[in-house]
Amino acid sequence: MKNVFETKNLTKNFGNLKAVDNVSLSVKEGELFGLLGPNGSGKTTMVKLLTGQIKPTRGTATVLGVNVLKNPIGVRELVGVMPEQENPPSFLTAEEYLHFVAKIRKLNDVEEKCSNWFELLEFEDQKEVLCKDLSRGTRQKLMFAQTFLHEPKLVFIDEPLINLDPIIQRKVKDYLIDFSKNGGTIFFCTHVLGIAEEICTSIGIIYRGRIIYEGTMKDLKRRRQHLEDFFLKIVKEA
Amino acid sequence: MFEILKSMMKEEWRSHSTMFGSLMFFLFPVVISIFAFIGTLFLPILKNILPTSQIALLVHYVFVLFGLSVGAFGLFGREVMNRRFGQASMIAYSSRTLPVSEREIFLNFFIKDVIYYFFLWILPFVAGFASASPFISISLSYSWILAITLTLSFLIGLSISFFFSTIYVHSLKLLVGILFFAVFLEILASNFLYVNLLESLPSLSFFFSHSVEKIILSLGIIIVLSSFSIIFLKVDYPEKKRRFKNSLDSMAGKLKFGRYSFFIVKDFLDLKRSEGGVGKIIFSFLFPLAVIWLLLSVFLKIIPFSDFTVVFAVFLGVISSSMYNWLTEFDLFTSYSFLPVKVSTVIKSKLGSYILINSISLIILILVTLTGGSIYYFLPAVLSFLAVSSYTLSVTVYLTGLYPGTLLYNAKIFLLYFFLISPILLVLIFLSLFNPLYLFVSPLLAFPSFFLLKKSFAKWDEWNQPTF
Repeated sequence: MKNVFETKNLTKNFGNLKAVDNVSLSVKEGELFGLLGPNGSGKTTMVKLLTGQIKPTRGTATVLGVNVLKNPIGVRELVGVMPEQENPPSFLTAEEYLHFVAKIRKLNDVEEKCSNWFELLEFEDQKEVLCKDLSRGTRQKLMFAQTFLHEPKLVFIDEPLINLDPIIQRKVKDYLIDFSKNGGTIFFCTHVLGIAEEICTSIGIIYRGRIIYEGTMKDLKRRRQHLEDFFLKIVKEA
Repeated sequence: MFEILKSMMKEEWRSHSTMFGSLMFFLFPVVISIFAFIGTLFLPILKNILPTSQIALLVHYVFVLFGLSVGAFGLFGREVMNRRFGQASMIAYSSRTLPVSEREIFLNFFIKDVIYYFFLWILPFVAGFASASPFISISLSYSWILAITLTLSFLIGLSISFFFSTIYVHSLKLLVGILFFAVFLEILASNFLYVNLLESLPSLSFFFSHSVEKIILSLGIIIVLSSFSIIFLKVDYPEKKRRFKNSLDSMAGKLKFGRYSFFIVKDFLDLKRSEGGVGKIIFSFLFPLAVIWLLLSVFLKIIPFSDFTVVFAVFLGVISSSMYNWLTEFDLFTSYSFLPVKVSTVIKSKLGSYILINSISLIILILVTLTGGSIYYFLPAVLSFLAVSSYTLSVTVYLTGLYPGTLLYNAKIFLLYFFLISPILLVLIFLSLFNPLYLFVSPLLAFPSFFLLKKSFAKWDEWNQPTF
């Protein structure tokens, strides 16, 4: 399996704060990689660096063979990104937003693609509602749909399940597992360890901007270690 | 009460200084002071062209205009904040989560604006004037009077703006009715009663002859209008979900702006659906324009050989560029930053939206020409309007990108903005005073405009976007 992305000594400073500190990391094709860490540990900054939304202070990153620093737009054309905080534009409807994203990504068969997502995530009845009037959960469904709309090979998703009800959570988790089994790669940021334990194939633990652990879920299971206990232990030691 | 005010002050300071550091923001009032200082030193020369009374009138109305534009934010406040920060993150929205009434929040917001802009603009301006006064033998007592009258002028502008925004929230028809009535009164007063409404501004008349009555009248206007706004404050957070059929594709199909069409349509849907955004932009643009129109009609009577249409067109070009600021206020690049979209693409689409909205300015220019200007000079007027508008816009885009509302408060950027625009304006106005036909040279501004825009796209694509 080849690497879908690689970073070398990736560093991002915000003033005196080292948000990401000398991270060298790679993820293989077909993995469902979970980047775990407490609040403020550097997970979101990692996603922003890897998708060219911010520039690194130091280091390099290559995503799907594209140099992120040199061609950030090229990277974002290939990958899907589901940000943690960003909401869809307030005054477009859910349907209009998906069409808007489809136009930016120059997609065909927009109508069909959008309908499939409304159906899968069960929010067809909300498609004509202004995004600002949607519930948090529905907004999250919409952002999830836009991430996968162009059928990317690699997606970066930041806390994608937090506002979803258990029924949709199950659907989303199944979708992510299927996506990964079919060759897609997922870079999944979360601090909800239960979800990571359930669906991830490999994990990295980030703390104060540094990767303090990298391994597969199989390794953990072999050691008969519960992810939560392992996480708390390793963070405490760091 | 005091805690809310203090927090709002901090919030305002941080929202500006986050982007370019506290020092550059702190230097902004220093720059205003230096401008006022230099301007005051030139007063003896200016007096040879304009009578003192007209200079005082101009300065006071600049501060009324300033108050109006600060208050215009009250018109847009909720949509802009909602768009930029999310509803719950500003103190202005804390009444839903804390035991504070909307009225109390609004009162604090009003007081915060007064204090904040007093220290940012009024005080530095007066300090600059006072420092230069001894050099041109003006008594220092004028500085004290100016501090009072300019503050009152600013407050009158601010309270008028809040007053109209309150009326607007209740009834657009009532607002239109009041505006028509005001125009009718103006025509009646100036044509039949021979009263000059411009000179009736109580703060201005206090500047010329001090009397307690004029101060009371000024304060009365401010208190009545702002009390009205506070008492009749209407804040509703609609519970109902608003639904619309997909009009993005059909509208974009009608526009011929290529791949920018979807962004432009998004801009228009944003404005149309955000509680009458288009109407508000036009209103906040027409209101200062009406004041400029009134001022010019007074000044140009004094200056021989001047043509109203041509000079108005030059000012219209500058003011119309403010619509770009509003277009950027409703949008935020972070909404696109995770998509394959360059900053320059968003800027270009804003320029497309601006071109469409700016047709309103062209219509105004045609109306002004037809109603009172000289048809003979219409073509140079249109050319100079288009040239100044494009040039001012390209300077704004080059210096501030998608953040004009914030970055113009950076002292360095403000200075650059001033020195790139004002000499061009002065040259064009002087040319028009000699012969309006000289303004046929104005299309030459297309070259620097094109150059600046080209530079802007590369510059802002390279810029690290702020993360708020």
